[in-house]
Amino acid sequence: MEYRDYYQILGVARMATAEDIKKSYRRLARKYHPDVSKEKDAEQKFKELQEAYEVLKDPEKRAAYDQLGSEWKSGQQFRPPPDWASGFEFSGSRSRGTSSAHVFEEEGFSDFFSSLFGGGSPFGAAGKRQRQAAGRDHHARIDIDLEEAFGGGTRTLDLKRPELKPDGTLELRSHTVRVAIPAGVTDGQLIRLAGQGEAAPGGGRAGDLYLEVHIRPHRLFQMEGRDVTLTLPVAPWEAALGATITVPTLGGAVEMHVPAGAQSGQKLRLRGRGLPGQPPGDEYVQLKVVLPPANSPAAQALYEDMRAKLGSFDPRADLQAKP
Amino acid sequence: MTDVVEMHEAQLVGEAEWIAATEICRLCRLELDAVIELAELGLVAPRGYEPEHWQVPAAALPRLAVAARLMRDLGINVSGAALAVELLEAQRDLERRIRRLERLTPV
Repeated sequence: MEYRDYYQILGVARMATAEDIKKSYRRLARKYHPDVSKEKDAEQKFKELQEAYEVLKDPEKRAAYDQLGSEWKSGQQFRPPPDWASGFEFSGSRSRGTSSAHVFEEEGFSDFFSSLFGGGSPFGAAGKRQRQAAGRDHHARIDIDLEEAFGGGTRTLDLKRPELKPDGTLELRSHTVRVAIPAGVTDGQLIRLAGQGEAAPGGGRAGDLYLEVHIRPHRLFQMEGRDVTLTLPVAPWEAALGATITVPTLGGAVEMHVPAGAQSGQKLRLRGRGLPGQPPGDEYVQLKVVLPPANSPAAQALYEDMRAKLGSFDPRADLQAKP
Repeated sequence: MTDVVEMHEAQLVGEAEWIAATEICRLCRLELDAVIELAELGLVAPRGYEPEHWQVPAAALPRLAVAARLMRDLGINVSGAALAVELLEAQRDLERRIRRLERLTPV
């Protein structure tokens, strides 16, 4: 596994005070929080920050981490020393703050963290979890394409979850889950996989796994709940005279009638052509009139003819001051 | 060690129109007091008399989940999270409108 320089990740010196560490974490967490940030790889960076802060905010973990020495560099191959964390006395407060959120956050942490501070390590909270009757719920995020949201699909997810070993300690175990994604799932919606969360130590009910769905931006369609919007380029004569046009929808192309006299920006609705559901969403088609270029004598002559014959047309009539 | 687990059918959460507030607390990892405060701030409009028996519109689930994460991860209080969620939603709405308008304008 690779060594992680938690001080470097949080942008603080090794001698930084607890207050400095907290300030730096707050500042960087604000910058990279996946719900707020537009930075590239925000989610990954935020996980790294959380992992670094998890260690450096806790005086015991920080002291143990500092014992590894300052010679290590991020990315260097690392193996925990055989006498890791021996000789430390742990305060009772360590596990009091362990909440289900805490467990969730540790799920995406590195192998480096897991081997030094995760379940199974002297810092793990195995004792606390053993007393639970039921397993905790786990949460993860899943990114899917709009097509998968429309038609459903199968996804294979690689997840890590803490599992109880016979000796009472916990280890992070990778597992692969194949998920049948229901058709009609929308952005931000949660899907539940019953019994796929944390195993219950006492043989009780296992927790559930919740996946928060994120739908990736689509090349053609924009989403709003179950509705989708498509910008449809049309020729001036199609808008002016009306036309039947083949329009892409999530379920395949359909014929749509554009009424005569349609304008650029006008929205037409294809009922029930959005994401499936009760009721299903609609597809809105927003017209965009595209002018043919006047790049040939024939095209120029046509535009001149229009000017001559439609000379009374004033596209800026609304700009005139009204009496 | 890797286990290959068989295929799991996923259930959509919140397909019904309303979700119990207690279920919201579990799903978003929020305290009921925070849900009450978020309701007072207008981020969610529950129905019912006693908060323990409140029901919350399923459509509010994503915004409550974001508010919960912001509180947990950034150490902000309930009013700050509610304000941030409203501003984020307004920002996304404006971005959507801008993208739509950009598609209408010739390149």
